[in-house]
Amino acid sequence: MLTEVHVPEDVPAAVSLVAAGATIIGGGTSLMPRLNDYASPPTELVSLRRAGLAGVHVDGDTVTIGAMTTLAQIEHDPRLALLHPVVRSIASVPVRTLATVGGNLFARQPHGDLTVALVALNARATLAGRSESELPLTEAGLVTAITAKIPKKGAFRYLKAARRRYNSASLVTVAATIHDESGEVTIALGGVSDRVVRAHAAEAVLSGRPLTEETVHAAAEAELAHLTPADDAYASAWYRKRVFPVHLRRALLGR
Amino acid sequence: MKIVNLKVNGVGKAFIAKPETTLLLALREQLGLTGAKRGCAQGACGSCTVLLDGEPVVSCLVPAVTVDGSDVATVEGLADGDKLSHVQQAFLDGFATQCGFCTPGMIMSAEALLDRNPNPTRDEVAEAISGNVCRCTGYEPIISAVLDAAERARL
Repeated sequence: MLTEVHVPEDVPAAVSLVAAGATIIGGGTSLMPRLNDYASPPTELVSLRRAGLAGVHVDGDTVTIGAMTTLAQIEHDPRLALLHPVVRSIASVPVRTLATVGGNLFARQPHGDLTVALVALNARATLAGRSESELPLTEAGLVTAITAKIPKKGAFRYLKAARRRYNSASLVTVAATIHDESGEVTIALGGVSDRVVRAHAAEAVLSGRPLTEETVHAAAEAELAHLTPADDAYASAWYRKRVFPVHLRRALLGR
Repeated sequence: MKIVNLKVNGVGKAFIAKPETTLLLALREQLGLTGAKRGCAQGACGSCTVLLDGEPVVSCLVPAVTVDGSDVATVEGLADGDKLSHVQQAFLDGFATQCGFCTPGMIMSAEALLDRNPNPTRDEVAEAISGNVCRCTGYEPIISAVLDAAERARL
């Protein structure tokens, strides 16, 4: 049960409440379902809703998205068209109105598909009182914004395999950025581990090689050994590993 | 305990909220508006959908104290006296409701869609109500009713 919900008006106030032991709540779409039963442990929350962290800033090809920007705000921002298929693959309309970019970084798998996309875009998170961090984050903290470079048209790929077309958690999510100049591919995966992961083994196979049926198949085979998906209500671990090569191929080759 | 002020269906309301008082609980138990339903309390069923500052939200996931000063629209505020909104009338005429539990949430999701997109395709309607679970109708009459409401609004 909730013992207190603080709604600070700025980041320093939020930081001191967190330091005093309060749990951060963004949109609440991951946290509140766990607190909504009367058996949850006593919890003190600090809501970032009024901390001034929402908003999108675009400067050339660099985009900065405030941590409290909602998935719905991304969906309706024409400057973020790249991310529209990503956010529309997540949950449902009345959940996306609440769910935030910052919160997605901490969503439990097999949720957190926006983070998969952000990892593939090599986005960085800004944390209060610290320097920028690479994604996926390895430690907790109060994220104030994420920053990413928008790649050139056609370089970003995103594919989410789910049980239904709308409003389903991930079976396998693949996001990738293809860097033509360097011959490198950045690949991030969801649904295949207890957190969002970079597919380093697959990237190594594809480095400097053309994207073909053969190379992508070899990349998938190399990555398979590193995948540790969960058995859950959406799919078995066996199934997720079985279909991963198919979805990697579809994401990278479009077929 | 904090005093929370909301504008609900255009009327200013104040109530005392405990930390665990969600927007849904406040509407139902303190303001007497029982249209929005408590289904799953997980944000998964959509039966508690209301408009918060014009946008649809699952009100079961919103601590009331975090939305002090906001505008809330619920199904109770749609009709003008005896005259139902286009969406409500289309649901009634199209038999888009059976047990009725999901109906207020469905209608608020539909209202939000039509506010933003007055000419939706069938697929856009399906996406808009993808967060609202109906265990009776099979969704088809609901989708048809939303398209019918869009048509009525154009006349």
